[in-house]
Amino acid sequence: MEFSEHIKTANVEDVELRQPLQPPSRGTLCITGHHLLFSDREADTSRHLLLLLRNIDAIEKSVENLLGYPGFLSKAGHSERMTGSSGTITIKCKDLRVLQFDIPGMEQCLNIAHSIETLSCLDNVSEMYPFFYRPTELRLQYHWGLLAPEQHYNQTKELHKRWRLSSVNQDYSVCSSYPPAVIVPKSISDETLKKAAKFRQGGRFPVLCYYHRKNGMVIMRSSQPLVGANRKRCKEDELLLQAVIDGSDKGYIIDTRSSQQVQQARMTGGGFESKSCYSGWKRLHKQMERGKALQESLIKLVEACGDESQNMDRWLSKLENSKWLSHVQTALSTAGLLAECVERDGHSALVHGYEGTDCSLLISTLAQLIMDPSCRTLEGFLSLLEREWIQAGHPFQQRCAHSAYSHTRLQQESPVFLLLLDCVWQLWRQFPLALGFSEALLLRLATEVYASDYGTFLCNSDQERCALGVKDATHCLFQALLKPTEREVYLNPLYELNQLAIWPSVHPQSLQLWRGFFLRWTQQARHLEEVQQEIRNMVNEWVRVTQSDATTIQ
Amino acid sequence: MASPVSAYNSNTLDSQISNTVRDSLKMEFLADVSLLPGEERITDKDLIYICPFSGAVKGKVLITNYRLYFKSSDADLPVTLDVPLGAISRVEKMGGASSRGENSYGLDITCKDMRNLRFALKQEGHSRRDIFEVIFRYAFPLSYSQHLFAYLTQEKFPENGWNVYKPVEEFRRQGLPNNKWRIAFINKNYSLCDTYPTVLAVPYKSKDEDLSRVAAFRSRGRIPVLSWIHRENQAVIVRCSQPLVGMSGKRNKDDERYLDLIREANDTTKKLTIYDARPNVNAVANKATGGGYEGDEYQNAELIFLDIQNIHVMRESLKKLKDIVYPNVEESHWLSSLESTHWLEHIKLVLSGAIQVADKVSNGNSVVVHCSDGWDRTAQLTSLAMLMLDSHYRTLRGFEVLIEKEWISFGHKFSSRIGHGDKNHADQDRSPIFVQFIDCVWQMTKQFPTAFEFNEHLLLTILDHLYSCRFGTFLYNCENARDQHDVRTKTVSLWSLVNSKADLYLNPFYTPDAGQVLYPVASMRHLELWVSYYIRWNPRIRQQQSPVEQRYKELLALRDEYLKKLEQLQLSDSSSSFHLVNSSTSNTTSSTASTPSQQYTQLHTPL
Repeated sequence: MEFSEHIKTANVEDVELRQPLQPPSRGTLCITGHHLLFSDREADTSRHLLLLLRNIDAIEKSVENLLGYPGFLSKAGHSERMTGSSGTITIKCKDLRVLQFDIPGMEQCLNIAHSIETLSCLDNVSEMYPFFYRPTELRLQYHWGLLAPEQHYNQTKELHKRWRLSSVNQDYSVCSSYPPAVIVPKSISDETLKKAAKFRQGGRFPVLCYYHRKNGMVIMRSSQPLVGANRKRCKEDELLLQAVIDGSDKGYIIDTRSSQQVQQARMTGGGFESKSCYSGWKRLHKQMERGKALQESLIKLVEACGDESQNMDRWLSKLENSKWLSHVQTALSTAGLLAECVERDGHSALVHGYEGTDCSLLISTLAQLIMDPSCRTLEGFLSLLEREWIQAGHPFQQRCAHSAYSHTRLQQESPVFLLLLDCVWQLWRQFPLALGFSEALLLRLATEVYASDYGTFLCNSDQERCALGVKDATHCLFQALLKPTEREVYLNPLYELNQLAIWPSVHPQSLQLWRGFFLRWTQQARHLEEVQQEIRNMVNEWVRVTQSDATTIQ
Repeated sequence: MASPVSAYNSNTLDSQISNTVRDSLKMEFLADVSLLPGEERITDKDLIYICPFSGAVKGKVLITNYRLYFKSSDADLPVTLDVPLGAISRVEKMGGASSRGENSYGLDITCKDMRNLRFALKQEGHSRRDIFEVIFRYAFPLSYSQHLFAYLTQEKFPENGWNVYKPVEEFRRQGLPNNKWRIAFINKNYSLCDTYPTVLAVPYKSKDEDLSRVAAFRSRGRIPVLSWIHRENQAVIVRCSQPLVGMSGKRNKDDERYLDLIREANDTTKKLTIYDARPNVNAVANKATGGGYEGDEYQNAELIFLDIQNIHVMRESLKKLKDIVYPNVEESHWLSSLESTHWLEHIKLVLSGAIQVADKVSNGNSVVVHCSDGWDRTAQLTSLAMLMLDSHYRTLRGFEVLIEKEWISFGHKFSSRIGHGDKNHADQDRSPIFVQFIDCVWQMTKQFPTAFEFNEHLLLTILDHLYSCRFGTFLYNCENARDQHDVRTKTVSLWSLVNSKADLYLNPFYTPDAGQVLYPVASMRHLELWVSYYIRWNPRIRQQQSPVEQRYKELLALRDEYLKKLEQLQLSDSSSSFHLVNSSTSNTTSSTASTPSQQYTQLHTPL
């Protein structure tokens, strides 16, 4: 295998591992093509650590030459490998864990570090672990994923009167980041769509992403129109949007940029839907941070959380300065605005920013959670993620290549999906009964999105996934999470169906740091995880006994 | 009296029907306020409530001898206020007869429970004079030599909360007296120490004369006495006030000997640890007023300062917190504003002090805790440490006992700190020490959601009645004063209310554990502002309370049913085990078939 050329030292014995929440242990460290494996020497404990190399965000090494200490050497004569030097590798993971290995032998240490550095950053997708992950209890499915766009359309009967499923993008030629099938107004032909797509960045023409059953209003999403400095127009695009609000007096466009930003965007070929060309539409601007700013915010937050210094006086200031919670606030309030347009004001809405692959998805997902109870079950939520993130073409590969610890120069990294999970957690905290899934699910997703056994978060689009055979040769995470053995852990035992919209409070005093994630590797967070598990068992037990007994009593 | 409400009605061209509806509403206004037995209407008046959230609201206010009740007259804008007069700290007139501007003339009421109320009246004929005087008189009855409402109430409850705490019984529960500790009644007439309870636990070897001599060397005679003893290792928590060392560095052999007796009462205590709750500098400064701390002359003892600030600092800190949350939350720099109040930092210091005390004791080391007088910070530290060490105090009844014992009986000056019925709002003795304690308890319940039998509603209820003066529980500064005023015979205990409807205050997820020590994390990262208390008057905050409570009640019912079934199963277990096997078939998690006995243990684990 080609991986072997990156592995000069596969095994080192007598390594000491230090990790959070556990006493140090000694054992064997082993590097394979995709994993770092540590097994404890003590036979009775048989503790293992199996870590995907992909999970490693940063590695720091320090080696120490002990040749200058002959006395030490002679004492250490029992080990011939101990050539008078040793090294320490600090591994910082994308799930925010920090591990330390003390490795005897400078050379081994450097070899191991080198292997990790190389293997953790391979960017050839088809060499990644999901293509090799073959657990015995799972078989590769004929259908990959939960619900293809066609099935989603077929199941939503209410749509059929005014909306159709278009396969204009079946060969990904109209829009490379869209799935092959999209939902559009019935009155709009594929030819019109093709022309409209040329007028939208990346070809992301407006498509339907949510139908509000209560009033028949919809949420559309797209990328920005390519208006440019000389105010280009596109009749087909205008027609398409007009068809969306046909029979209604108006629609709202939620632009995730400030009005100043959209003016500037025109200088680089982008722009916005002007009042004169799109007369039925009212634009609302909500500036959201994206890209680098978001990544930097995450880095600051993680730095503050990991600050070991005793002096915690400035903790709240540091938390504030990271701005992470204000990004959470903006995301939730923009989603609230969108939901308000649709649910309270009774109008359809279009969401976009620049590319329409990040903030737009964040907002449309949150708005659906706020409005639609069917998105709030475990299945519903995972289908929502599949629809709005996987199929809709969020570039996971680029956004999640690295996380908060990485030393490499940032490129396209941005924790938009993590921000989504944080926002969902805030909803979950404010409405502890309304969401059918648990915090454990959000934590699992937050880990899997950066490093996974499954193929779900590979690639940047549906097209790439098909081209690389992801759907044929990897397992789907969402399907795995719904297996009877797994799902129990991810259900919220307190869940009660709530037909109403759940309007989150977005005031800063209502938002909390997601300690379960950001302080996950502390005793306290671990304890609360255990307590949640305990509560789940408790409620399940009550329900089981009280109900099953009713049936056996006869 | 022509009220603005009736003027409204006559102006409209409404039909006969809606007029009668309105009239009946008006009638109902007075009728639908359910008063407590013994509560009497004093007066009512039409006025405008300047609501910080919905603006000016026209309505009517009713003043009884217990509460201020306001209801808006506009059915489309339903605003009600129901404030016990005891919660009022200050009443002032705002504006004058010549003040300009809308609603500039009226009353400004400051409350002790993190809110202010403003009412506007018409600027004519001294319209506010009567209402101002009524509120003033009934909110501050002690300033008028009148009775607090607790003495007027006729409320009856099936449970008698005064029976919750019996000192000797509580000592017996702890395993006292034993061969190292005796129960002393030397203070039965409050002659040794007028702010202590009558029943004290002291070292077996100490004689009553020793106690008197020690009392002379401790501030206000508050000698070191036992609060809690560890059943297994016999280490103790002892509380007292500061020694009267003074500038000259006085010594007292009896006091030194007495502390050594405390140390000797536990075999594993090599050095007695004295926790002085104060910052070092404050302890030194206290020497100037005759106080101080234990010096090197106390052999076999070590002194540790816990750096907790005094009542004035705490008062100012909470005041700053109020400033950033009421009426409007300081949102633009919320976290740094919160930080600048230092409230959470004080919480952290109190909690971490209590953790140190609990840790020492659970390691078999006896400790002495004091501050200056030993009734504020000392009560916080001992009671929190006891809550960490002893799971009994984490039950509903046990928590009531803890408050009765460490706070009420040991003379936390509730009357001075809260100012029940007293108009002197600027009194320097007022301080939210007890609120801070309850906040610390709340932080612990957050960190250990299954360890406490009671829920947040209990904590809120306790704080509400800390001020309300409806119950005798928190009245007066010490037992001595309570005896003189016949609190136990003439007033009702808060625990009568609580224990008569205990299920309202229970946590469905409570899992009793056998004697586990709880160490909360006292790091700023893990502390939260208690939003549902401090910001509860903000209508945007309360949204989620009721469904959760409803669900909790359902869960409690489910749990009770479960327990009942479990009992049946246990009964039938000996005779026939088919039952259990059947009930386990629906089990989806466990893959292997379980024998009846395994199933039995499985059933048992969660509770």
